[in-house]
Amino acid sequence: MTIHDDVQEVLLTEDQIRGRVAELGVELAHDYSDRQPVLVSVLKGSIVFLADLIRATELPLSVDLMELSSYGAAMESSGQVRILKDLSGSIEGRDLIVVEDIIDTGLTLNYLLRYLHERTPASVHICCLLDKPARRLTDIHIDYRGFTIPDRFVVGYGLDFDEHYRNLPYIGVLRPSVYGGAEPRT
Amino acid sequence: MAADLTGATGPRFAHASEAELARILDFYQVAWRYEPDVFPISWNASGAVVECFAPDFYLPEIDLYLELTTLKQSLVRKKNRKLRWMRLLYPETRVKLLYARDFRALMVKYGRLDFLGEVLGANGHGASPRSATAPQPSEPAA
Repeated sequence: MTIHDDVQEVLLTEDQIRGRVAELGVELAHDYSDRQPVLVSVLKGSIVFLADLIRATELPLSVDLMELSSYGAAMESSGQVRILKDLSGSIEGRDLIVVEDIIDTGLTLNYLLRYLHERTPASVHICCLLDKPARRLTDIHIDYRGFTIPDRFVVGYGLDFDEHYRNLPYIGVLRPSVYGGAEPRT
Repeated sequence: MAADLTGATGPRFAHASEAELARILDFYQVAWRYEPDVFPISWNASGAVVECFAPDFYLPEIDLYLELTTLKQSLVRKKNRKLRWMRLLYPETRVKLLYARDFRALMVKYGRLDFLGEVLGANGHGASPRSATAPQPSEPAA
């Protein structure tokens, strides 16, 4: 029994991801050719994408990381999102690229953008690997998008279920039996 | 507005899933109002309103209405029909219908399967008293 056995279907292969991440890196390098952006990423899901993206982006960039409490994990404590790890440096006047693994409801990103804008950066743009628009509850403008995906429960390439499957090298659809769910109607 | 299923300090929600969604919105600091607006969708021959649609939530910062449906297929059909009329009559108003599968996905995402079990044990989504006895309009044209 391996972690691959819990995957119902490979949605995006390693090659597809590698190719698209390389393209995003070229796009960023072109658009920020005269700037030194800060890539801000949110732990933990984005780490694999971030690691590959910065190596595909030939720019004098820097990286900063944040961690936010998520709703379910915080049910026993605060009723509001908390910053578990804040930015290490100042972003005032800097050009930010927020790097996200997946945008579904957009609630976390909506909160994060408000937080970042309060620190008066010069600009904020969003780069996400996966866009799942079917779940969106907020208005989010995505500047750089890896893939638009259907409304499926995906894991791998940093994305987890219950802290597992992050180390899958591809994006896979998790078997509904793993999380007690039913297959969405198509 | 803070979520409170009991209605002691906030709105009295018709269903536990609505209170849960309100808690999620509170958590991420998204402003919401519970059933703030009522949209007439059917009138009789004398012009009196005979059926309305009151979406569960309004998110003022996003200018979006949310309507939750949960378990009962008959209620889902009814809400789908109301939503079609709503979109026909008020095309500028943005309404998003969250189906049971959408709510389930949210609960899976947030590791709230225990809560999902509680909701699945409940008997569907309470119907609004405003529309419980109202006549049904026919289908809008496509």
